[in-house]
Parts: sequence; C-alpha cells; structure tokens
Amino acid sequence: MEIIVCAKYALDVAEIKIDPSGKPLLDGVPRRVSDIDKNAMEAAVNIKEKQGGTIKVVCFGPASAKEGLKELLAMGADEAYLVEDPSGGMLDTAATVEALAAAIQKIGSFDLILCGEATTDGYTGQVGPRLAGKLGIPQITYARNLNVEGNSVTAERDLEDAYETVKAPTPVLVSVTREINVPRIPSLMAILKASKKPMTIWKLEDLGLSKEKLEQVSTLQTVDLQGFAVERKRVVIKDKPVEEAVQELVSYLMKEKALGV
Amino acid sequence: MAAEEKFDVIVVGAGLAGSTAAYVLAKEGLQVLLIERGRQAGAKNMTGGIIYSRVVHEVFPNFWEEAPVERAITSYNIVFLGENSAVTLNLKAPGLGKPPYNAFSVLRAKFDRWIAGKAEEAGATLVTGVTVDELVMENGKVKGIKSGSDELLADVVIDAEGAKSLLVEKAGLRGDFKPEDVSVGVKELIELPEETVNERFNVGGGEGASYTLVGYTKGVAGGGFLYTNKASISLGIVARIDMLVEKQVKVHELIEDYKVHPFISKLIEGGNVAEYSAQIIHEGGIAQVPRLYSDGFLAAGSSACLLINNLFTLRGMDLAVASGAAAARAVLKAKERNDFSASSLSAYESLLREAFILTDMEAFRRTPSLLNNRRFFTVYPDLACSVMEELFSVNPAPSEKAFKVVRRHMKGKAGLLDVLRDLLGVYRAL
Amino acid sequence: MDKRLGLNKYEIDSESHIEVDKELCEKCEAKPCLFVCPAEVYKLEDGKLVYSYEDCLECGTCIIACKGMGRGAVNWRNPRGGFGIVYRYG
Ligand SMILES: Cc1cc2nc3c(=O)[nH]c(=O)nc-3n(C[C@H](O)[C@H](O)[C@H](O)COP(=O)(O)OP(=O)(O)OC[C@H]3O[C@@H](n4cnc5c(N)ncnc54)[C@H](O)[C@@H]3O)c2cc1C
Repeated sequence: MEIIVCAKYALDVAEIKIDPSGKPLLDGVPRRVSDIDKNAMEAAVNIKEKQGGTIKVVCFGPASAKEGLKELLAMGADEAYLVEDPSGGMLDTAATVEALAAAIQKIGSFDLILCGEATTDGYTGQVGPRLAGKLGIPQITYARNLNVEGNSVTAERDLEDAYETVKAPTPVLVSVTREINVPRIPSLMAILKASKKPMTIWKLEDLGLSKEKLEQVSTLQTVDLQGFAVERKRVVIKDKPVEEAVQELVSYLMKEKALGV
Repeated sequence: MAAEEKFDVIVVGAGLAGSTAAYVLAKEGLQVLLIERGRQAGAKNMTGGIIYSRVVHEVFPNFWEEAPVERAITSYNIVFLGENSAVTLNLKAPGLGKPPYNAFSVLRAKFDRWIAGKAEEAGATLVTGVTVDELVMENGKVKGIKSGSDELLADVVIDAEGAKSLLVEKAGLRGDFKPEDVSVGVKELIELPEETVNERFNVGGGEGASYTLVGYTKGVAGGGFLYTNKASISLGIVARIDMLVEKQVKVHELIEDYKVHPFISKLIEGGNVAEYSAQIIHEGGIAQVPRLYSDGFLAAGSSACLLINNLFTLRGMDLAVASGAAAARAVLKAKERNDFSASSLSAYESLLREAFILTDMEAFRRTPSLLNNRRFFTVYPDLACSVMEELFSVNPAPSEKAFKVVRRHMKGKAGLLDVLRDLLGVYRAL
Repeated sequence: MDKRLGLNKYEIDSESHIEVDKELCEKCEAKPCLFVCPAEVYKLEDGKLVYSYEDCLECGTCIIACKGMGRGAVNWRNPRGGFGIVYRYG
C-alpha cells in the first residue's frame, strides 16, 4: 500500500500569548507538527507494519518545517516532501490544497492519503475534504478506526452521537480523529535512522505554481482574531465521602457542559 | 535493537557542559552523538542567570557577538535585607560593559539552543526528546547508553546531565547526596519593558545589573538574586534543603516574602510573572565533587558538582563550559592512544586544574562551612540594616559613636567573640 | 501555587515518572517532601501522601530530601523524552 500523509507544521497554540487588548501575539510563536496529523502518521505506520508498503509525508509550510518532518520520518515515514510556503502562513486552505495537490501529483501514484481531521491551530477541517475534491477521489472524514483490505478501506466515522461504518475503494483520502490511536514517541534508533531518510524540498515554482497564483486562489481573509484567557474554575470538593464527592463532581461537570452526556 | 552506527563519543545532555564537549570533539573530527531529553536543547534548563565570560570566551571566542545574551552586567550589588530596609554595596564599572566583558545575563532556553547549534555546526549529531535511562556497563566499565529498549555503544560516554546526576550514581562514582550539601533554587521570570529595566536600574541599553540578596530568608541558609535581562527580571532564591525541612518553610514562600520587601517590590513593580522554575544546586564545594571519571566515562558540569559559591558570585555555567571542554580534550588525548580506561582519561583532572576549575574550588573550600554559619543569613543582614538606619537617622536622643551602636544592636544576637571569629572565617574563606 | 504553575508549559505524559513506595512512605514521620518541593507536588490527603507528577519541575529536590531525611520512598526518574516541564525562558 502506498500511503501519503499530509502534515502541517502548525503554530504551537500553548505558546500564543494574548496582549492586554485581547489580541493574540503571533510573531515568533514556535511551531510543531499538528497533533492530529501525528495520529494520521501513526495510522499509516500501523497499516505499513501489518501489510507493508511505503509512507511519504507531505507538508506545505515554512522552511523550519524540516524539524517537524524529521519527527514524522522518525515515527516511520520513508520519505518527506516539503513545499516551501513563501507567504509566512498567510494563505488560506484553498491555497494549501493547491500546493499539496500539485506536490502529490508530482510524487505520482498512491493508494491512500491520510490527514488529521483538522489542525490544532487553524482548526478549519477543510484541507482533507478539499484535497480529495481537487484530486477527484473519494473521502472518508472523522475516522476513529481504519481497516485496509486489498483495494478497499473500511472506516468507522465518529459522528459525535453515532458511529458510522463506511467503505471505499482506493485511492481514497481518510481524515482521522485523535481517538484513532496514540502516536508513538520516536526512539533513539528511529531518530538516528530518520536522519538518513530522504527529504525533498520544493519551491512553488518546482510544482508549476507561484506565490501570486496561490494568492489569487486564497480569497479568505482573517478579519479579526480575538483571544480570551480561560481561568481555572478552582472548585474544590472535599471533606466528603468518595461517592458523594464523585456525584458532585459529575453534576458540576454536566452543568458546565464539560461532559457530553 | 542492535546499533548500526558507531559513535566515538556519546554525550548525555545538551546543556552547557554537554554541548561544549560535543562541540570541541566534533571540531576535531570525532563522531559525536549528543542526546538531550528536552524537546529542544534548553527546554529543561534553568539558572540564576549570570554567566562569567572569560572561560566561555576561551572556547567560543567573542561569543557575545552571536550568542543570545541578554545584558552585559556593569552594575554589581550586594544587598543586605533587613525587615524594612536594605544596605547595599554597589560596584559600577562601565568598563565591564566592553569586550571582553565580565559577565552576561542569559536565559537558558535560548542560550542552550545556540550552544547546541554550535555543536551541530561542528558536526555533532544532536538528538532531542530522548532520555538516556541507563548506562551499558560491563565489569564496571561503561560501554554505552540505554534509552528505552535501544542500546548504543561508544568508546566513551561523557555525562553532562546536570545536577541530579542520576547516571553518575549509576556508574558508581558517587554516593547519596546529603541534604545539607544541596540547595534548591527557584526563580520567577518577571517581564518588564526594556526601557523600564534601563530606567529602573539606571543602566544603558544592553547593560545590566546584578543583585546578590543576603538575609530575609526566615533563618534558612541561603540567599537570593535579582538579575536584569533584556526585557525581564530574574528573581530567585536558593535555600538549603535540610533547613527548609528543619524550619518547615516552603521555598516559594520565601520568594513571596522577597516580592513584598520594599527594596525588591519597587524593582519589580508592574512586572508580569511569566515563568516559575526550579533546580537543585550543589553547594558542598570541592568536598562534594565525586570521582570525575572511570573506565569509558567522564562527568562534566554540574553532574560533577562543579560549582563555586563564594557568597558574592555563583559560578556554575562557566565551569560547565570549561569542564565540558576539558572532558573533550581528555577524550581526544585518550583517542590518540586508543585507550579509554580510567587511567588514560585521568588527564581530565589535570586539564581541569589547568583551567583553574579545581584550583578555584579548592581556594574556596571553606565557604561551604561559612554558609553553615547561621549568623550570616540571620543576624548580620538585619544588624547591618538596623545599625545603618540608626546611624543615618537624626534622633532627639544624644548621639552615640558608631561602634557603640553596633554593640548595642548586637546584644543578645551575637557576641563580640562570635563576630571576630566570623570575620576571621570570612577572611580565610575568601 | 496553581496559578504559578499555570504560567509554565508542560507536555504531560500519560504515565508518571514518580513512584512512591507506600509502605515505606507510611512509616516516614518527617515527610520532608511536603516542605521542600517547590511545586508542591507532594501533599497529604486524609493523612496519606498523594502526588501530582504533572506539576513536577524536575528539580531533583525530593530525591535528596526523601533519601536523606525521609525513608527513600520516592522513586524519581526522568520523564520520557520530550515530556514534562518545558521552559520557555529558563
Ligand atoms: C537557582 C540557580 C541559580 C544559579 N545561578 C547561576 C548563575 O547566576 N551563574 C552561574 O554561572 N551558575 C548559576 N547556577 C548554576 C548553573 O545553572 C549550573 O551550574 C549549570 O546550569 C550547569 O550546567 P550543565 O551543563 O552542567 O547542566 P544543565 O544545565 O543542567 O544541563 C544538563 C542537560 O542534560 C539533559 N539531561 C539530563 N539528564 C538526561 C538524560 N538522562 N538523558 C538525556 N538528557 C539529559 C538536561 O535536559 C539538560 O539539558 C545556578 C543554579 C541554580 C539552580
């Protein structure tokens, strides 16, 4: 099975500070591989471990994304491709999809594309579906479970209040949820091996694209971005028998809508 | 899992000692693997914040031109804190703000990344996010390291894991630490605009101040520091572990006390606490230094308890750099002979002497016992403040001569003989 | 303390890097860990020691205090690679 994983080198949201007027300060915020894309990579590695194949990881992002790609190679990808984004992350998902699709077409054949259901910074959830559309292949979103058999893929979709099982022929794009697995932490040997795996870096021009062209398709503009700090609630339940305390905690969490039951 | 690569040297920890060792070795063409458990070099490291330049300059000439230093320290202060007052000794030396500089304030998250980057540039392989769990030992000889189920062998392992030195213990080079030899240091990083720091500390751009704080620690042996960074202040306290237990004082309570002391509160006013960090620090001096090497193994930096605290300056970082370099040079010599036994690696000790590290530590061997003397952090700071306060205030009562004032304030707190003995102690120790 | 630690960044591991030998700990009257930990990782609840490894600053104080002044019940190891405290300034 030839697998392609799409991964974003996203802003590390834990590092975003908010100025007194509520504006998030985005300059110089460190980046990291979007968490859920690591779930996608883990899913890919699990498939490869069972039935062999290759895993290629593609990223449209800043030059610094090499660091993130190294981590994904250490998790088990065989090859990495970085399409350098000259805009400093100012383009919308349409442009991202344009770049990823061009890269995937250049890479050539594939059976399965895996990505996260959304990225941990922008959380649009659009890239997977739009990419499938652009490539003209079926898509399965929100997979919490994934099974590959011959030329078909079966997945259990998480619909929040229901699970739906669907099946599609390859080539297919699947977006996964966090619940699908626990991404592995690369071991020392895996990291050392990864440093010898191939990483290709493309400029937009190498893919027949240009900054101007991407700016044209990128029509979505961020008008305002307002941060808010969440204070801890500091509710302490104590001096009670365990059963009562648990009851109280559960009813409190339900009141706060922290439990979805 | 079997190793398919072989490194000449594995360095554990990309702190100052480790990255320096890796840098020196890689520059000479050795295959070096530098392993850091933090996601990035520096992610796990804290310090008070003043790095003395001389030794660092020897290994990394003119490092200040490219390293992310905060401020060149030009104003040095010792502050005796009384209940509501403070006596300050101040040295202002603008000359120290010029090359080759005396000292800089630094923040480790940035500084350590820089120095690890130097090691990488020189050709070392840096792996981050990996914890070394064990040493591979064979008949008491160190053969390599273990991380999870991975094993990797090398001619030598340089241990630069910092003050906890868990591997030094596993290598059998040290026994248990004694609580009276070790302090815990905590620090708050307080953000303030750069201009505010300049104005408040009366320093030019790029220049900074350091304050050593004595007293006001609820009788716990220890002291504090306040250092200026570019756009923040490092305020911290170092307190001896055994005394925190004895006095049942929590170390963060001491920092809270500092923050409301009139001398300190006005320096940090309006600041925003952005980080709270902690680390142990070995204050046992030369007597605490473990065996520094064994077959296939060397310890550098604070994992070898290399630290000088002479009451006024705290030197660990420059010693880490210097000992990292010395360890690397000892390995280079051993490599020439292709003999990595303890006796071959023993050149390390003489190299440390040549770099004045062990000699400096021997010179200050009496300071740890000085720090044992409770009067230094209980009686004297208060005494200095109340005497000065009285000498400088004009009262309706008839004036007394200074010495009489001192005697009166000493009553019940310290005898004249104690003071003389203590003075002699200071004289000997410093 | 919550507020102070809330300023810090942690990568929390699902497994604890601290283990406490309950039997040894129960015999310990001094419980030095309660005083020396700068993050107050160790607390007493109904007379029993509880600890929140998630808050650990990895300073090493508890190892020394527990061994030297307690019963050596605390078994502290480095968190797995990448996990635990992440200093932004240091
Ligand atoms: C509160 C306080 C204030 C101080 N103030 C000053 C000062 O003003 N000036 C000064 O010169 N010194 C000061 N010091 C001392 C100084 O900080 C230390 O001496 C110095 O940091 C030691 O450097 P190092 O490279 O030996 O160790 P560290 O800086 O501790 O580096 C050790 C590295 O090893 C890594 N590591 C550890 N174990 C493993 C493992 N098993 N596997 C992989 N990686 C591992 C760590 O993550 C870390 O990166 C202070 C110390 C404290 C606690």
